[in-house]
Amino acid sequence: MHTIGYTPRVIWACLKKDLKSALTDPLYTLISIILPLNVLFLMSLLVISGGLAPTAVVMQDSGPLAQQFYAAMEGAHSFVLQQATAGQAEALIQQGKIVAVVTIPADFDARIRQHQKVSVGVKINNLNTDFTNDIRRALPLSITSFYAKAFPSVVTITPQEHDAYSQDLGYIPYLAVPILVIGLMVGGMMQAGTSAAVEWEHETMKELLLSPASRVAILLGKMLAAFLIGLAGAAIVLVVLIAALGIRPVHWGELIGFTLLILALFTAWGTLLGTWLKRRTPLATLAIGLFVPLFFLSGPFGPISYFAPIEQLVARLFPVYYAIVVLQHAFHNFTQNTYGIGINVLILAAYALAGLILATMALRRSVLAH
Amino acid sequence: MKMLRAFVHAVWTICKKDLRVWLRQPANVAITVLPALTLLAVSALAGVAVGRSPVALVTLDHGARGQQMAQIMHHADVFRVSDATPAQAQVLYNNLDVVAIVTIPANFTQAVEAHAPAPIEVRINNLNLDFTNDIRRAVPDVITQFYRQEGSASPVNVTLQEQDLRHQDIEIFQYSVMPLLVLLLVVSGLVSSSLSAAGEWETRTIKELLLSPVSSGAIITGKVLTSFVTTLALGMLVLGVGSLLGWVQPAGVSWLPVLLIMGLVALFSAGLGMALGALLQRIQSVSSVAFVIALYLFFLTGGMAVLAFDPQWLQTIATFVPLYYGRHALEMAIFYQSSDQLGRDAAVLAVSALLAVGLGILAMRRGIAEAR
Repeated sequence: MHTIGYTPRVIWACLKKDLKSALTDPLYTLISIILPLNVLFLMSLLVISGGLAPTAVVMQDSGPLAQQFYAAMEGAHSFVLQQATAGQAEALIQQGKIVAVVTIPADFDARIRQHQKVSVGVKINNLNTDFTNDIRRALPLSITSFYAKAFPSVVTITPQEHDAYSQDLGYIPYLAVPILVIGLMVGGMMQAGTSAAVEWEHETMKELLLSPASRVAILLGKMLAAFLIGLAGAAIVLVVLIAALGIRPVHWGELIGFTLLILALFTAWGTLLGTWLKRRTPLATLAIGLFVPLFFLSGPFGPISYFAPIEQLVARLFPVYYAIVVLQHAFHNFTQNTYGIGINVLILAAYALAGLILATMALRRSVLAH
Repeated sequence: MKMLRAFVHAVWTICKKDLRVWLRQPANVAITVLPALTLLAVSALAGVAVGRSPVALVTLDHGARGQQMAQIMHHADVFRVSDATPAQAQVLYNNLDVVAIVTIPANFTQAVEAHAPAPIEVRINNLNLDFTNDIRRAVPDVITQFYRQEGSASPVNVTLQEQDLRHQDIEIFQYSVMPLLVLLLVVSGLVSSSLSAAGEWETRTIKELLLSPVSSGAIITGKVLTSFVTTLALGMLVLGVGSLLGWVQPAGVSWLPVLLIMGLVALFSAGLGMALGALLQRIQSVSSVAFVIALYLFFLTGGMAVLAFDPQWLQTIATFVPLYYGRHALEMAIFYQSSDQLGRDAAVLAVSALLAVGLGILAMRRGIAEAR
């Protein structure tokens, strides 16, 4: 009975102590709370282009067919178009403000009507193959779309598209979810890891270890404090996503539940890292420095099964991947893997538990050197 | 002369001390390099499949035209094609193994030869716009190739005459080496010099430094120099390895501007880091803020993508970030052996580096004055 009452008191005491400690360094606490928001801004810069190529079109022919070709380019899901003169277009591409110039020749309409070959000029800033190939493929799409509308009886082969979802989701609403997960990861790990590492740096861990309190209780108290501070950061990011960016979740209950689970998971792993590294600097460097690579490694751009087998293998090693899967379901009702939501949640819970167990083991094996 | 010798000796001693401290923390060094190296590995992995989405191809037509279209799809290098029956394709689609099912209908040959509508059915899992648009572009690309094979009989009279601005295409993986090199230089410079400065306050060793008969100028120069040397060394190591592996190809005299620009970026980040460390004076705050600043600087200049694809406002902001010029100069020198606008880039970077070091000196002086 004594032990039953004692353990919660230890947890409560550690929780209170860590919250008070956080208040003694308000600058760092503030930095930690707004860190997930910073991650959101940073990663938004990464996806803001939306993959559309800024392109100038030089309309040397203003006939109806040339206009139809321009309209086909607009509908090619690939360009941000602007009309320009040849001189303006050349200046824009040389200045790096656009990536392609498409020139519709003066005799475009006449040649098309006479069934003669007509050559559309394309000048590309071929900086890297990914973007360049998008442009190279988008132009044939414009040509087939143009013919399908202007001469449906001439070009009879056309793609007939059936979509799984009634409407396309933009880049930002889709990628906001993996960005949120990475924000939760950085926020949770930084706060919990720092709170663990600082005990070693200040050698206050000695007092904690010499006390009759159980190590699990000590860790739980510290993790709870970090979790509560991390929750403030998570709440700010969610408010920005939902209220400012208008990305509303389909399943509110799932969003709240999964967010809490994911934050708890990364709090546990942050505690493990802090206990293992025992120093705040490598911990901060690791937590912040690895979020960009982890973002790319965990399948943020689509179901991981669409990628190469090695990428699938790597992504499945990290809990970030499962966190993205469950939150994509909460936000957009998307199915990102075939395990089912229940299994994904169980995997996340297992990771959280493993983090706690490993942190306890690391604490048991730790000694404080003088 | 004697004073100068004493100054150089003091700078050298501080530099040696800081280098030893840096080398005694291999975990810090590894972690500084880790983000850039991991991103490089990610690019190498992702580069394999970029722009080629997995699709299931169901060819229901055994006629000549249907087979021709299927052949083109296989050889077009725009998909990763799995031939399948309708049932197999459905399983692949349901298991999220393919983005789309492309079906060539049973009457395709007949319809094409009769000039009747011959739609190719494309069923897309459109949960992600990136993959969806890849498929939307790739299928018409294949159709255009199909018509092109008809030569003069082709009804498609619009052809494309491509002219490339640069003499060679750069693979996405190679392209990503450059921004990552810049990221490495900035992270290393900012983090190592800010921690080195803040560490003196937090461990209170600043007191010993101030009590020594050494000028504050020598202390600051020594610290900036250490960070500059370590950052440049890391950058050269990565560039050297990249060059040996054939990822980047600076040739002949192109190495000179590359080294110059790397040195200026390293100096800029070291100076900025010094200012940050002296202002915040706390390791905990500095380590987080330095990393976040480094990442902002990196992403504001386009990150791993091409800045020209970003909105105009972001392109305008980028012109105020010195790394924009560093990145441009490195791209020109390494990929195209060109010195296009090198003078502008080097001048902007040199002025920025001087300003950053000046800021670092001011912040250190202020911090030192307060510590006295």
